[in-house]
Amino acid sequence: MNTMFSEIAWLIPLFPFVAFLLLLASGRSGQGLGVTIGTVGSLASLVLSILVLMEHMSDGSKYYQDGFKWIDLGSFQLNIGYEVTNLSALMLVVVTAVSFLVNVYSAGYMKGDERISTFYSYIALFTFSMLGLVLADNMLTLYIFWELVGVCSFLLVGFWFTKPAARAAAKKAFIVTRIGDAGLLIAILLLFWYMPDHALDFVRIENVFEGQSGTVAAGVTTLIAILIFVGAVGKSGQFPLHVWLPDAMEGPTPISALIHAATMVAAGVYLVARTFDIFQASPAAMETVAYVGGFTALFAATIGIAQNDIKRILAYSTVSQLGYMMMALGLGSLTGGIFHLFTHAFFKALLFLGAGSIIHAVHTQNINEMGGLGSKMRITAWTFGIGALALSGIPPFSGFWSKDAILTTALHENPVLFVVGIIAAFFTSFYMARLFFLVFTGRPKGEGRIHESSLTMTIPLIILAVFAIGAGFVETPWNNTLGEWLTGAAGADHSGSGLVMVVSTAVGALGIYLGWLVFVKGTIARDAVSSRAPWLVGLLERKYYIDEIYAAVIVKPLRGLGSLLNAIDQYIIDGIIAIIGGTAVLLGRGGIRLQNGQVQTYGLITVLGLVILIIAVVGRRFWS
Amino acid sequence: MFNMDWTGEYVAFIVFSAVIISGAVFMINFTKVVHMVVSLAAVFIGIAGMFVLLQAEFLAFVQVLIYAGAISILMIFGIMMTKHGDREAESKSRLHKIAAGIGAIALFGILFYAIRQTEFPAQEQPLHGAEDNAMEIGKLLFTGYVVPFELVSVLLTVAFIGAIVLAKKEANE
Amino acid sequence: MLSSYLMVAAILFCIGLYGALVKKNAVIVLLCIELMLNAVNLNLVAFSKYGVGASLTGQMFTLFTIAIAAAEAAVGIAILIALFRARGTVNVDDYDEMRR
Repeated sequence: MNTMFSEIAWLIPLFPFVAFLLLLASGRSGQGLGVTIGTVGSLASLVLSILVLMEHMSDGSKYYQDGFKWIDLGSFQLNIGYEVTNLSALMLVVVTAVSFLVNVYSAGYMKGDERISTFYSYIALFTFSMLGLVLADNMLTLYIFWELVGVCSFLLVGFWFTKPAARAAAKKAFIVTRIGDAGLLIAILLLFWYMPDHALDFVRIENVFEGQSGTVAAGVTTLIAILIFVGAVGKSGQFPLHVWLPDAMEGPTPISALIHAATMVAAGVYLVARTFDIFQASPAAMETVAYVGGFTALFAATIGIAQNDIKRILAYSTVSQLGYMMMALGLGSLTGGIFHLFTHAFFKALLFLGAGSIIHAVHTQNINEMGGLGSKMRITAWTFGIGALALSGIPPFSGFWSKDAILTTALHENPVLFVVGIIAAFFTSFYMARLFFLVFTGRPKGEGRIHESSLTMTIPLIILAVFAIGAGFVETPWNNTLGEWLTGAAGADHSGSGLVMVVSTAVGALGIYLGWLVFVKGTIARDAVSSRAPWLVGLLERKYYIDEIYAAVIVKPLRGLGSLLNAIDQYIIDGIIAIIGGTAVLLGRGGIRLQNGQVQTYGLITVLGLVILIIAVVGRRFWS
Repeated sequence: MFNMDWTGEYVAFIVFSAVIISGAVFMINFTKVVHMVVSLAAVFIGIAGMFVLLQAEFLAFVQVLIYAGAISILMIFGIMMTKHGDREAESKSRLHKIAAGIGAIALFGILFYAIRQTEFPAQEQPLHGAEDNAMEIGKLLFTGYVVPFELVSVLLTVAFIGAIVLAKKEANE
Repeated sequence: MLSSYLMVAAILFCIGLYGALVKKNAVIVLLCIELMLNAVNLNLVAFSKYGVGASLTGQMFTLFTIAIAAAEAAVGIAILIALFRARGTVNVDDYDEMRR
């Protein structure tokens, strides 16, 4: 049993952290330096992560843990440490790979931005936080990195802080995820309270909750699980806290790829997977997760149809795919969720980077203003197409296999969710077809010469495309490698997966065909729906008015309360302060006037003071 | 106060107090500085009369000599030396005056109240040595109060020299 | 009888005080201070006659007070003359050296 690389796994997050510190120290001086340091740091992490993963794959070394004591509080001892499981090894590779490719890609995309060094330092910090989160061996460490990820996303989404929309989006992302974070924090506190010996590390949690041993009461277990899930909902953009994710598209596109493919949103899924034993101990929590996931999958997919911003479409597809992952976890299929997370990381990063390449070329995000880009941007078009097919679940691309795994589970566990998943898959392929055809086919609409992006941007696309094709083969109905490796259990039940494969493929193909009919051939008029039911299109375009509902129900009352408190602060508290201050000023003014250097004035004050003193001292006999 | 006999002393007291108070009030209200000094002299003489009533003939004499004579004349000299026209300049601001008036009246009110409230105990024995006032004071001055007496003489000498030094024109001016 | 004298002295004192606080001419201010001193003298002599332990002590005190008042008046006038020579005025309002 060889644990050589796992022993130094703590170096993996340290590379980007060192890169971050170096960039922070260098300030704005080194323009090219940022690219080099950031890329080298993430490459080092990637190499080490791959070595760790290979180590875990080659022999059965499933687990390595190390750490040091941080806080010693009486009987309670808090450690900071890291542990390498098969799951975290896999996540390490996903995170570092996407991070590395984003680093390379950004060198082209962000070229000429005067704050590129800052950008790279943020990415490095983001990568560090995410890797720390993945490696954390207890809930509290995880929470620290969890918050760090939130801060980094705030910094990165608001990177172009001169744009008001970016500022608003950054704030929104931060505040909305904060709601989820509060849930997670309460869950951690509850765990601390109810766990034997106040243990917070994952191994003990696993032992306590495994097999519903009853050490922790069932109600409390459900509560903890739901609260953890609230945290995951916030980070992973599940309904009803999904609103920040599409808005976060205001950040630079590589950031969207990083946030939406590998790091931030995956954190939620990873959290649920990591604490999966708690969820399994509570059927109610499992059902909640499954239904929220399923609903989000369908809900976000329908919104995706009506959006016109290329990045927003992808954002809603991310929300939808994350819904799939949550649904899989909720249905008890850890493999399905993680498998989809794994494949999704690659093809969604591919799609976002492709979108970035398109935006870089045409300088717009509105897909109605694009068209005919296919012939001019061949690499982007091909790779984007691969990503779209993978997302739509067309065999043999990776998305097909992972979606298939989820849907098979759903068919076994819960037919309702199976139907939901199938419908969501149909919508997914439809909006991806719409996106693809509007952007790459038809006549060019924008003026100006459009050309393919530079090599630093296309090479990551090609690499990701290869993964988007091939990553699915680690787990197929005939090949259960990932599942066995991940859970240590025998292969899942794949009976009926043939039916699922046929249905999901047919649905995906149908979606694409419909998209082709509408947006290329024109057999069905584009306004066929909008002319008959404009309210439906409006509903979808306005994202079911969720933002408006939040604004009316939550934001406005809070704002009213805030302005009330503000008024109290401004007029009452500040008024009192102003009165006190003003009195002092007036007294001072009076003092200045009295202090005129004339003996007679002083004498007068003395006489008056004497009178007052006498009255005060002697006058008591009248009152008492 | 009013239920006592109208003795000669009492009549004299009323007269003197009228002189004193009216003199003081005139002093405050006159605008010509010389008039002020003259009315002040009247006050001093009234007080001397009071001293006589109080069986302090020697003091009355001293009062007339020093206050009504020396100090009043000194003041007139002072006024003349400072060439301050002979009119009191415009007075202080109204607020200042009102405040000073309130202060003075309040203080008087307090004193009035205190005097009215105090029960002065009865006299143990009448003032002796009233027959030959100057003689008794001279005896006391050279027996019991000889040290303060000498100190006062020193003080007067110092004040005398100091006044000359202060008031004389500086040589190199 | 004692209280009558005291009352006259109090009136005199308060008038003197008022004048000392209000008058602008420094010489008049000095005069008013003399007035206040005289009020005190009157008190001392009145107590000397009507006080509990009637004796000549009160008159002795008055004697000293008069001597010191005389010295004070002389020095005061001298200072005023010097000041007048330096500043060209005897207006009390112009003597605001204490502000500096």
